[in-house]
Amino acid sequence: MRYVTAFGRFWYDFLIGDRPELFVGPIVALVLVAMLIQAGWSAVGGLLLFALVVASGGVGLGRDLAVARARSDQ
Amino acid sequence: MSVVLFTVLSSFIASAVEFVEALTVVLAVGVTRQWRSTLLGAGAAVLVLVALVAVLGLTIATLVPIELLRLVVGAVLIVFGLQWLTKAILRAAGARASRDEVATFGRQLAALAKEPPVPATGTDWISFTVAFKGVLLEGLEVAFIVVTFGAAGGQLAPALLGAGLAGIGVLGVGAAVRQPLARLPENQLKFGVGLMLVSFGTFWAGEGIGVAWPASDLSILLLLAGYLAASLLAVRTVAAGLVRRTAPTPMQTRQELN
Repeated sequence: MRYVTAFGRFWYDFLIGDRPELFVGPIVALVLVAMLIQAGWSAVGGLLLFALVVASGGVGLGRDLAVARARSDQ
Repeated sequence: MSVVLFTVLSSFIASAVEFVEALTVVLAVGVTRQWRSTLLGAGAAVLVLVALVAVLGLTIATLVPIELLRLVVGAVLIVFGLQWLTKAILRAAGARASRDEVATFGRQLAALAKEPPVPATGTDWISFTVAFKGVLLEGLEVAFIVVTFGAAGGQLAPALLGAGLAGIGVLGVGAAVRQPLARLPENQLKFGVGLMLVSFGTFWAGEGIGVAWPASDLSILLLLAGYLAASLLAVRTVAAGLVRRTAPTPMQTRQELN
């Protein structure tokens, strides 16, 4: 059981760590684009996926910038 | 052909960065304790990593349907690549400290100095364990990249070639200079690897959910160009955000002058 927990902890730290928005953002993006493609909007699927991944990175950077600013205020 | 070259290059750069970090640990242990046990530990870790890549790479590629594999691997590569890329953007913009191999080397030396002395005969298990753990932990990221590229893109051989060349190159330079490779532009390399991982990840995950990429495999280059442009813009935006925060406002400047 200890090894299973350690294995799960390793993957959690590896993929999520202290930046969950960089994990959730791309997953939500893929679900949204998959739904759009199913609805027949496949022509814009690639462009939308790219834009949503960029937006996910932007959200993560915004949070990191806020943390960096808070640290410089201390 | 472009995908093969791209895979070799991505794997080479990603692996080189991780091997440099592993080399710092190995050098610190070897210099302060015992080279034979250190190299045995590092070698054992490399064997474990090679076995992991061979078993996982072949098992995943043969057992999981390709569409599902590309979706899962692509999603994981986007997540993993975004972590590398955003950290590299923050470092390039000055919002995060860069990794300092010399400082890491110094911390390792200080930590090892507190350990019991090296035994007069036989294997020094402290050297073996520290080197084994250091190489295994850094190498797991290399193994992860090699397995994902190999499984999703059918590029196991090019990915292994890139990792192998990086290992030989870093070990060769490390053996020659016998000190941490501090002059390597580590952040620029991580920036490049992050871009490549996110580009490949977007391409494969997109294929997995049914995206019809307009230029087939060449779309990876278009994605790379798009992510590069967005990342450079992000570096400028973050740097400007930090400067705005630290620069005095016109009102503050007038008050200071008065």
